[in-house]
Amino acid sequence: MTTTTPEPTPQEAPADRRLHPWSWLFVLLGSLRQFLVPLLVLVVFGGRRDEGYQLVAAGVAVVVLALLSVWRYFTYRFRIEGDSLVIRSGLLERSLRQVPFSRIHNVELRQTLLHRLFDVAEVKLESAGGTRPEAQMRVLQLGDALALERLIRHRAGSADDAPDAADATAPMPERGRTLLALPLAEIVRLGLVSNRGMVVVGAAFALSWQVLPENAFKRGFALVRSELSGYAEHVNGGWTSTALAATGVLLLVLALVRLFSVLLAIVRYHGFELREHGRRLTVERGLLSRVRSSVSRRRIQAWTLREGMLHRLFARRSLSIDTAGAQAGTGEGQARDAPELAPIATPDACDALLRHLLEGLAWPPQGWRPLHRHAWLRLLLGDVVFGLLLGAGLCWYFGAWGLLGLLWLPWGWLLATRHARFAGYHVDARLVAVREGWWSRHWRFAEIDKLQALQLRQSPLDRRFGMASLWLDTAGAGPMSPPLRMRWLALAAARALRYLLAREVARRPLRW
Amino acid sequence: MSGLSDESQPEPAVAEAGWRPLPPRARWLFVAGNVSALGGLAIGLLVPIGLLLRDTPLALPLALAVLVVLPGWGVWLALRQYACTRWRLDGHGYSLRRGRLWRHETFVPRSRVQHLDLQRGPLARRFGLATLVVHTAGTRHNAVSTAGLAADDAEWLRDQLARWIEHDDDDA
Repeated sequence: MTTTTPEPTPQEAPADRRLHPWSWLFVLLGSLRQFLVPLLVLVVFGGRRDEGYQLVAAGVAVVVLALLSVWRYFTYRFRIEGDSLVIRSGLLERSLRQVPFSRIHNVELRQTLLHRLFDVAEVKLESAGGTRPEAQMRVLQLGDALALERLIRHRAGSADDAPDAADATAPMPERGRTLLALPLAEIVRLGLVSNRGMVVVGAAFALSWQVLPENAFKRGFALVRSELSGYAEHVNGGWTSTALAATGVLLLVLALVRLFSVLLAIVRYHGFELREHGRRLTVERGLLSRVRSSVSRRRIQAWTLREGMLHRLFARRSLSIDTAGAQAGTGEGQARDAPELAPIATPDACDALLRHLLEGLAWPPQGWRPLHRHAWLRLLLGDVVFGLLLGAGLCWYFGAWGLLGLLWLPWGWLLATRHARFAGYHVDARLVAVREGWWSRHWRFAEIDKLQALQLRQSPLDRRFGMASLWLDTAGAGPMSPPLRMRWLALAAARALRYLLAREVARRPLRW
Repeated sequence: MSGLSDESQPEPAVAEAGWRPLPPRARWLFVAGNVSALGGLAIGLLVPIGLLLRDTPLALPLALAVLVVLPGWGVWLALRQYACTRWRLDGHGYSLRRGRLWRHETFVPRSRVQHLDLQRGPLARRFGLATLVVHTAGTRHNAVSTAGLAADDAEWLRDQLARWIEHDDDDA
């Protein structure tokens, strides 16, 4: 069994290899995790009757799953043949899968806390398209996993890119060249900017609603209110203290959201490092479970640069990318986030990183072209409708005070004009870029080589204004990444752009 | 608003060349599709009408109106959808234009065609029609589907597009 040898030499070992002997345990835990929540609910909240019967059923299920995992371990073999990985697997239905290294787009090494105790790692190989990873090895010994990753990096690299000598001679845990590393202070900022904590607080709220006695919230609120009214009594009894209590609770929730966001960011991004090995980029991150994913630079399909309002407060931006394998995730558990090259970095650092990765391209591009000159009016229409509805709704509730809802109109006007002024697009020989938003803005761009289908759209309203929008499709655009589209262009400009891009894209062969 | 639409042109003449309509018999495919969908909706609507308005004099006229108006609207919509669908194959790729209120013009560059599907349902076979689906590696418009092509046209298109795929594969 090769896994027990300390220094595997995969290049000269065409023999069949197996996963780590403990891999069945992790497969079992993986499948148990899907049953974990229902099982917990059954045990904790389930009725007291028939308890033994349910536990016996659960126990039988666990034993069956364990046997299946062991069986799976004995039937899963892989070997390296020339420039591809050959995997034989299957319990009853045997399958033989050959994955050429040059087709592998992403390599992901994942180590949860348990994996780290056993010194093993889970390896995921993704190719373009498809909804599942090409190969998912649960689990390999860490040394083996790193060797496999390095092998793929070299073999895949030698197929299309010039391999660099430094990479080949580097010691076992190669460092490569660090492009970005996040110290703790940056990660705390990242947490403050992100809203991930919302999920935790929302879940906690929902759970406590279920678990706590019926009127706990009402009583809690009344308690806060009575405490506060102690201070506010001399002002005015009921109304003020209610408002104060509501504000206090709101502030508390906001603080909790931020706190959890920071905690989650630390768990997720601790020790974040973006490194470059020749033409491959490697991202490593995580406090408890370490994730190390690597992608070839030319496999990057599209880029997204984001700057929200909070980002601006800290003078930071975030940069993420689409890779063709990124749609994966509908099958196995939760959908993956877009890989982030720079979860948070100063605008200058983002620009420098982009210039480096896009090899000599001028970023930020000079000469953004504007939208249709009435784009602000088109944007304002939505705000006017919303403002009027808001005003009407508030009037219905509060009477004349509801007219304050119309204050949305000047705000909407500000948003629309600023947005229309900021938004724009840029096309040159290599790159198509769009920027949108004002309050929270994003830049979305892709190389022309990576474009797929184009679509010119015109809604009735667009036609009234003489506008059109151009949607550009790229591979691997996840549901979270904004579409690459140019909205509210003058019709003639949109058409000209469509014909220009059509000609350019048709001329260039698809390079993944 | 009239001042705003000065930038809209009717249709550039250069873009009009080479756009081909669907064959006239294809309109029955569009009609059949819409009538079955909206007819189903009409029958579905009979349930709330029967339950909520059973004792009012409104029920019968409303039910009849729903049964007539929805499929009728479906027919009208189908004829319009049919009339607005155009396709074109040129040196750069395949284009499909649809819709009248919401106009969409999708273009698949010749170098981005991944694979092709030709689908023929029983009704389409009866009328000598076919549906061509052009797949790309993209995300949102990864399958551009043209229903109601004449079977000969569809096969010709498929052969042309398939030749491009082979050509590009040789290049690579």
